[in-house]
Amino acid sequence: MIESSELPARRPGTGGTHPELALAYAADDGSFAVYNDYSAGRAVFRPRSETPPPPEVAATWRRTRDGGQVRPVAPADPVEGYGLFTFPYGPISMGVPESGRFDVRTYGERILALVPVAGYKSRRILASVCGQTVPDAALRIERLAGNFSAAHATAFLSAAESAAGASVPRGELWVRALAQELQRVYNHVHVIARVAEAASQNVGTAQTQALAEEMLRVQGSVFGHRWLFGALLPAGPRRRLDAGDRRDLSNVLRRHAATFDRLWELFLGSRTFVDRIQSTGTVTPSLAKEWGAVGPTLRACGVPWDDRLRVPTSPYTDLFLDLPQESGGDALARLLVRAHEVRASFLLIEQLLDRWTTTPEALEAPAPPVAPSRALGRVESPSGDLVYDVTLSGDRVASIGMRSASQANFPLFARGLRDGVFTDFHFAWESFGLVFSEVDG
Amino acid sequence: MPTWIGQAVRHGIVTSRYPAEPASEAEVPPTGRPPVAVKGSKLLPAGASLCPVGAISDRAVDRGRCIRCARCLPGGFEFRGPVESATRTRTGLVTGEPSPAAPEPTPPLAALSRSVHVFLVDAGSCNACNLEVLALANPFYDSQRLGVFFTNSPRHADVLLVVGVPTEEMVEPLRRAYDALPAPKAVVAVGVCAISGGAFAGTPGLHDALDQLVPVDVYVPGCPPAPVHVLDGLLRVVGRGRKAEGA
Repeated sequence: MIESSELPARRPGTGGTHPELALAYAADDGSFAVYNDYSAGRAVFRPRSETPPPPEVAATWRRTRDGGQVRPVAPADPVEGYGLFTFPYGPISMGVPESGRFDVRTYGERILALVPVAGYKSRRILASVCGQTVPDAALRIERLAGNFSAAHATAFLSAAESAAGASVPRGELWVRALAQELQRVYNHVHVIARVAEAASQNVGTAQTQALAEEMLRVQGSVFGHRWLFGALLPAGPRRRLDAGDRRDLSNVLRRHAATFDRLWELFLGSRTFVDRIQSTGTVTPSLAKEWGAVGPTLRACGVPWDDRLRVPTSPYTDLFLDLPQESGGDALARLLVRAHEVRASFLLIEQLLDRWTTTPEALEAPAPPVAPSRALGRVESPSGDLVYDVTLSGDRVASIGMRSASQANFPLFARGLRDGVFTDFHFAWESFGLVFSEVDG
Repeated sequence: MPTWIGQAVRHGIVTSRYPAEPASEAEVPPTGRPPVAVKGSKLLPAGASLCPVGAISDRAVDRGRCIRCARCLPGGFEFRGPVESATRTRTGLVTGEPSPAAPEPTPPLAALSRSVHVFLVDAGSCNACNLEVLALANPFYDSQRLGVFFTNSPRHADVLLVVGVPTEEMVEPLRRAYDALPAPKAVVAVGVCAISGGAFAGTPGLHDALDQLVPVDVYVPGCPPAPVHVLDGLLRVVGRGRKAEGA
């Protein structure tokens, strides 16, 4: 815990103090916050009232519990001038296959300001799981964002398990880590494919899409489900892997890793591709820290923060993880970080397969806590830090809060696109890896 | 020095033979098939008590509700149903119910059997269905070889493909997209969220069934359906679907 006296001085105009990087999250009652203490290299939890985030950012992290309200998810960015108008892009568009709107202030070509508007597809998940048992709630939580399902399931389950005081077998933690790393590779490869598509790199797009499909098939073969739904729960569809299966899997993944290396080398050799993403959607390191960027967006700004190495209960602490860091803050830097993470994740998967010596151990049903108890679960999702705050009452979820990577990064995306042009939109959007369903809840 | 053309040649052809040939095991993971009671209907009551979404009743399995969570497997169920489980009617997804042998209706867009243009609407999904639909463009499935094209405007589309459980906020955008489609048009509901609400059925503020908002022509069950299932559903719109195995 850092003391209040160690906090930086009051910033003009915000009406409050905040640490250098405050990560508040949309908790159930908003009373707790998670902060990354960069100097100490660890995460600390403290009452939010002591150190509020900048109010303009806090307003965009409104609790997702009730859902249902269509609302801006980045600070207002008023700009006026001759011929300016607001162009609403969405909520339905094929360019962004999810439903969400972008209010673009423009005079026809340049984007002078952009405010993303979310809430169209709010499924009221956090509100609807209250009162459910943990396994039933997990079925909905893992569908909060289909392509980050392993991260959401792991964060939620670890919060619920800490609240219940249950101990989880080490092997189970490794299985969850394996699921997360497979999904991280899929997501990063998918992001690179989408950026390549926007840049009209047709061969590269097809090849990268094919690799992403191969990763989905690997997930399907290991966990029985292409998107890992149910795979991390007791009684899920996951397979038992014997030594031979693991060897085969390891060979397949080594082939995919080699394919990725070749593709990435070709991408970096393409001047048109690199030119297109360089200086696009730039986030400055100071803004990233001030507004609390997470994940590859943060690491592309020169901050080597990763929950996998910072959260004390993480199963990664005795694995080799090479953490990338770039300083550009633009779409290129984010893609370089992602490419590096793909390689790092393939190495992690190898280590995890080596350790997965036994069949997945049966999870003991934790004895329900007598009094309501509350705990946090925190994992590094493919797009960054994901926090769950779960209160259990008996064996049921009494209340739940969540702060997703997309919630944290949406304001940065909006600001990064300022002064870009329309064609920059997709490069910036895809490179952040934002998911509307993770914001809407 | 590696080149893109060299990489493409080295990669070779990976495109699926579906629907000329049955879907391979790689294309459909275990959960890609609907669950069936291995030893017949006497297992249904046991399955009903295990099912968290009410897809299994004492008399039938409703494929339009099943989210493939695998909880019924210890009760004697297996993921052994047909890959081609898309239907033209909602009741067709309920298996085991004695039905008055309703004839399969004629395909809604049979006249467009050689080329069909599709517009995707996300009414409230988790993004997995969206990505599975987008995967149809990848070299493994390459929907264009079958004349299935995705458009950027509902005005250029013949088929409205809807994923996700419709939220209150998406009802109006959804209706406007539907109205913008020129006739003749068809609607495909992809995923159990759009068919019945799936894992979210019964939540206030959500519309459990898409077919109460717009008329639905083809139902594609799954959570999410794999790309071959989506392809099967789209081909069923124009009457080119593969005959279900064992049907």
